[in-house]
Amino acid sequence: MNKNIILYAAILIFGIAAPFVFPAFKVQLSILCILIILAITWNVQGGEMGYNTFGNILFYGLGMYLCASVQVGMFFPLAEWTEGGGEKTFVHTPAQFFQGFAVGLAVAAIVPAIVAGLIDYSILGLRGHYFAICTLGLGVAAGEISGGIEIIGAGQGFTTPPFPKVGSLEARGEFFYFCSFAVLIFTFLAVKAIYSTRFKLVLNAIRDNEDKAEAMGIQTMKYKIIGWMISAFFCGLAGGIMGGLVGYIDSTDVAFDGREMGVFMVLMAILGGKGTLWGPVIGATVFHIFKEGFWTFFLGWQYVALGVLIVVIVIYFPEGIMGWLREKYPERFGEVVDEADRKAQVELK
Amino acid sequence: MKIKNIIITFVSAIAILFSTSVVSLAKVVGDKIILGAAISLTGKYSSNGVHTQNGYNMAVDRINSMGGVKVGGKTYMFDIIYYDDESNPKRAAQLAERLISQDGVEFMLGPYSSGLTKAIAPVTEKYGVPMVEANGASRSLFTKGYKYLFAVLAPANLYLDVAIRTAVELNGGKGVRIAQAFEQDAFSQDVRLGILDAAKETGSKIIIDDKLPKELNDMAATLAKVKATKPDVLVVSGHTKGALTAIRQIAEMKVDVPMLAMTHCDAAKLSKQHGANSQYALCASQWHKTLTYKDDFFKDGMTYAADFEALFGYDPPYQSAESSAALLVFKDAFERANSFDQKKVRDALAATNMQTFYGNIKFAEGGQNVDKPMVLFQVMCDDAGKCENKVVAPLKWASAELIHPIPKWSDR
Repeated sequence: MNKNIILYAAILIFGIAAPFVFPAFKVQLSILCILIILAITWNVQGGEMGYNTFGNILFYGLGMYLCASVQVGMFFPLAEWTEGGGEKTFVHTPAQFFQGFAVGLAVAAIVPAIVAGLIDYSILGLRGHYFAICTLGLGVAAGEISGGIEIIGAGQGFTTPPFPKVGSLEARGEFFYFCSFAVLIFTFLAVKAIYSTRFKLVLNAIRDNEDKAEAMGIQTMKYKIIGWMISAFFCGLAGGIMGGLVGYIDSTDVAFDGREMGVFMVLMAILGGKGTLWGPVIGATVFHIFKEGFWTFFLGWQYVALGVLIVVIVIYFPEGIMGWLREKYPERFGEVVDEADRKAQVELK
Repeated sequence: MKIKNIIITFVSAIAILFSTSVVSLAKVVGDKIILGAAISLTGKYSSNGVHTQNGYNMAVDRINSMGGVKVGGKTYMFDIIYYDDESNPKRAAQLAERLISQDGVEFMLGPYSSGLTKAIAPVTEKYGVPMVEANGASRSLFTKGYKYLFAVLAPANLYLDVAIRTAVELNGGKGVRIAQAFEQDAFSQDVRLGILDAAKETGSKIIIDDKLPKELNDMAATLAKVKATKPDVLVVSGHTKGALTAIRQIAEMKVDVPMLAMTHCDAAKLSKQHGANSQYALCASQWHKTLTYKDDFFKDGMTYAADFEALFGYDPPYQSAESSAALLVFKDAFERANSFDQKKVRDALAATNMQTFYGNIKFAEGGQNVDKPMVLFQVMCDDAGKCENKVVAPLKWASAELIHPIPKWSDR
């Protein structure tokens, strides 16, 4: 327990100190936080519940557009802001910017959760590949539809409000970093708390055998929907922050970016080890560092390297880093190992 | 609980990695002026990204070999740090941040496409980094009040304006029926706005107004409508892929339309790739090699085109020419500012008034180049099937007469 506290304190201190120790890496660190949030939330479905979803990008993109729209719409006419040839220039005062962003984030979290609740009833009746393909369609459709809605900029994209001139040049980076770090902690603690309840056991029961779980008297649909609403809530928050951080929202390349973010979140969770609390965190961190490294030193080969990484993960670490560690050092995960039994198994092989 | 130790080790490993990988390059090292650029080397804009990069590189080599940049009595050479933005705005914004805060770049060159420029401009603006961009033409870039953004090209809404006006003129001043299809991206949508304006002023009617997806590989639905409604003008814009798809499917479906106006014909190497199928296509261009502008570095358009072809093996599209021009603008501004102070360089850029092989360059308040008109060329083929782009408007530079209306497929 003590060690746990030390670990959490160490991470917290690292998180708070990071933007000052590595001032040049604030954006990468913020994106790392966002990636971890996405990996953790994907793991709720993909890891714990056994429903491989590609649809979480829908909530992420929804959160992004909602946050920016609210932030603008609270003070200025949104249609004039996003109008392609618009000649008018609107400038947020610092108070407007932060108020708008706070309200925007709240909307960006709540609305996707409600949307998740509304669409889930029909979608979650599907299982396995059918569910995966259906959710894939959700993200793609959302991207195409949003690309045709004039009020959010359509194909022109949506420039989010520029950060007001407060404090030093570094203020913007620090603001978005601490936002994403705070949401990351919030997400982690919330998911950790949920995982320590019966809820997680139900999700696992659904993963292991949904029919049996239902036969046991569990209302699986209710749990599946609540699980996805929780994911949607945090995905929306992550999206809202990411929109402000990037500064420009494009329907298919930034918001409903299923090809990148949508796939990355799955990849990160699998790399770290799905079905564990720490797996997605580790997976996202390793993935981000790997990706940034390759983008810097092997320009032009980054996607080849990413492909190799995926192959290596699938072949050598099918259970992810955490799964591999667990197999190698089961004692450290609090599992009791009977040496004699282990040897017997080895001999059998 | 040893697993926690592993995590702790891991966290510290990250810390070490981050701290050691800081590469600090100042903008001016020794005798080098280091510019930063995020370019689409992969993804949907990769071919135009390479055109842009080739243009930059050729100008860097040329300026360096002809004596470099003289500031404060000292000679400096240009150098560029490139990153691949993968045609993704999110990535581009991140890379701009990285170029400025990690690599210490103090002057930037633009990326390819309006969308990516839109993503980068807020970052360069925040840090007060002057950016000369050559490939972001969307009008909304110039209405945001950016002070450090300078574009050597004419805004996107002017691209096909001339085509519509020409069609109306040839129709005896009466409005025409326009069918249009545009990719859902910042640039093409701006071209669309330009058409809407032109249509309104000339009393023309838009009968088809389609949006095409970003990965543009099929527009058969639009073309089927065109076949049925027989408009006077068909306008298509969607970067390189849009131009290729349009020509391919128009030829396949034998769509007859009196005027076909497009963008990106030269970047797509239409006349080479599709030969006679692309004949009569009317294309908006920022530049054409036969224009008569001149400068000391590249002499004129024809010389530029010949030198470019010798280096890279293809005829330069306007994307390369305007990218080369961006470097000339930077050199000129550095020398006039006689300083590397970002504010002074910015002011010098704002006061730019020069001629390059690519055209005259003079920036308006918003940063767009107001001294350079667009040109229209038409793909024309000889009997042997060899096709060439010939300028048809404005008349001052026209080397051939516009062929209108386009002959029917059955007569070709």
